[in-house]
Amino acid sequence: MIRLQNIEKTFYGKETNLLALNQISLNVEKGEAFGIIGESGAGKSTLLRMINALEKPDSGMVMVDNVRLTELNRKELRLQQKQIGMVFQQFNLLNNKTVAENVRLPLTLHDYPNCLTVDDVLEFVGLEDKKFSYPGELSGGQKQRVGIARALITRPKLLLCDEPTSALDQNTTEEIVEVLRKAHEEFKMTSVVVTHELPVIKSLCKRAALMEAGEIKDIITIKQSDKSIIQKPYLERAIEVLAHD
Amino acid sequence: MTESLALYIERVIEFSPRLFDSLWETGIMLFFAMIAAILLGIPVGTLLYLTADSRPMANRFVNRLINILVNIIRSFPFLLLVVAMQPFVRQVYGRATGDPIAASFPMVVIAIALYARFVEQSLMEVPKGIIETAQSMGATNWQLVWKFLFVEARSSLVIGFTTAVISFVSYSTIMGVVGGGGIGDFAIRFGYQRYETDIMYTAIVLIIILVEVFQWLGLKLAKKLDKR
Ligand SMILES: Nc1ncnc2c1ncn2[C@@H]1O[C@H](COP(=O)(O)OP(=O)(O)O)[C@@H](O)[C@H]1O
Ligand SMILES: [Mg+2]
Repeated sequence: MIRLQNIEKTFYGKETNLLALNQISLNVEKGEAFGIIGESGAGKSTLLRMINALEKPDSGMVMVDNVRLTELNRKELRLQQKQIGMVFQQFNLLNNKTVAENVRLPLTLHDYPNCLTVDDVLEFVGLEDKKFSYPGELSGGQKQRVGIARALITRPKLLLCDEPTSALDQNTTEEIVEVLRKAHEEFKMTSVVVTHELPVIKSLCKRAALMEAGEIKDIITIKQSDKSIIQKPYLERAIEVLAHD
Repeated sequence: MTESLALYIERVIEFSPRLFDSLWETGIMLFFAMIAAILLGIPVGTLLYLTADSRPMANRFVNRLINILVNIIRSFPFLLLVVAMQPFVRQVYGRATGDPIAASFPMVVIAIALYARFVEQSLMEVPKGIIETAQSMGATNWQLVWKFLFVEARSSLVIGFTTAVISFVSYSTIMGVVGGGGIGDFAIRFGYQRYETDIMYTAIVLIIILVEVFQWLGLKLAKKLDKR
């Protein structure tokens, strides 16, 4: 589904130039849930942004669904981007639009013959009752559910998540991970999840690339732990962590 | 006391037709300025925003050009702008002074430049993530502006407009110096040249009320539009 070959990207600054991606090559299979982990500044977001052409490589090839993004004009690029959903760390909702309007937004930009309905996706993420609320009235976890619903409504063939849980606390993180896992199961799209949080990758992905200083150091196959994540309430976990050693 | 009050009221009634004519003329100038601010100030300000470095339509040349024009107009002392535009207005409109439509030409120019800058500033307050989101959805620049930027900036755009209109009131009074009509002209003719101080203060109080009403309406609308 995704093929990256020898990607290089340098950001030119006033004083120093920064080699953000160095000789990146990567294949992600159709339907796979792929993770990219690494510390802050490693180049994870830049790599993810290559996949939906928000960033152009200086050299190398980006191929998504057998289309070479590096050779498309702007109009053709938009048609590619239209089929890729994206979930952001800061949710990036329009604060002056209701939940329903936010979720519907992608449908107002392009035609989507096979899209879902607002009610369906809101039910899927568990926010039926917030349809007419504004983002300002929601918690962080609820906002991210709206972000996910907005990405899913178009039935994307590819879902890109950039630190989807990094603005959330631990319990909310697990809720959101659960929604993303369910989405991948139900819609069978290819997904790429970028995060510095190891447990998130562990419960969402089968394979992951480890990044450091613009390079992929290793690609590992993730061993799923037998015990599935049990969602424990915050206080229970607090007692566990604080009162036991 | 009651006698002088009665005298005052009598004088206000006597001057009221001319006072209302002047207010009407100010209204015409403000009308043209507001229309220009909306129809041209918004596009120019949006272009100013979009063409800046690392924005979706980054273009050094266009950005510089608009920036310089806006800065020149805004830093030009308004009275000098009025005088400098007289030959042009005479060419286009036939006469340069003595009527509120002629007086509206310089008002239109300052209105576009002033509101364009406010629009640019309002758009700059929209978080960068919103642009990224629009682009990740494959939005055109047109869709980015209408469906994302203006939606998120709308209450700030209204507040900027209110501030701009209040400045327009102030600019409109300068037209009085060249006999352009309006409430400023009225104040100069009766207050400054003929020492009808009470009538002049009446005019000034009316202007202040006008400004307050604009301010109040603008803030009320902005609050209503803001769901953050
Ligand atoms: N638009 C940009 N201009 C300049 N430098 C950038 C830009 N985007 C990212 N960088 C730099 O590239 C490096 C990698 O950034 P990023 O991909 O965001 O890392 P990560 O997502 O892993 O934290 C960082 O050092 C960052 O400062
Ligand atoms: Mg990042």
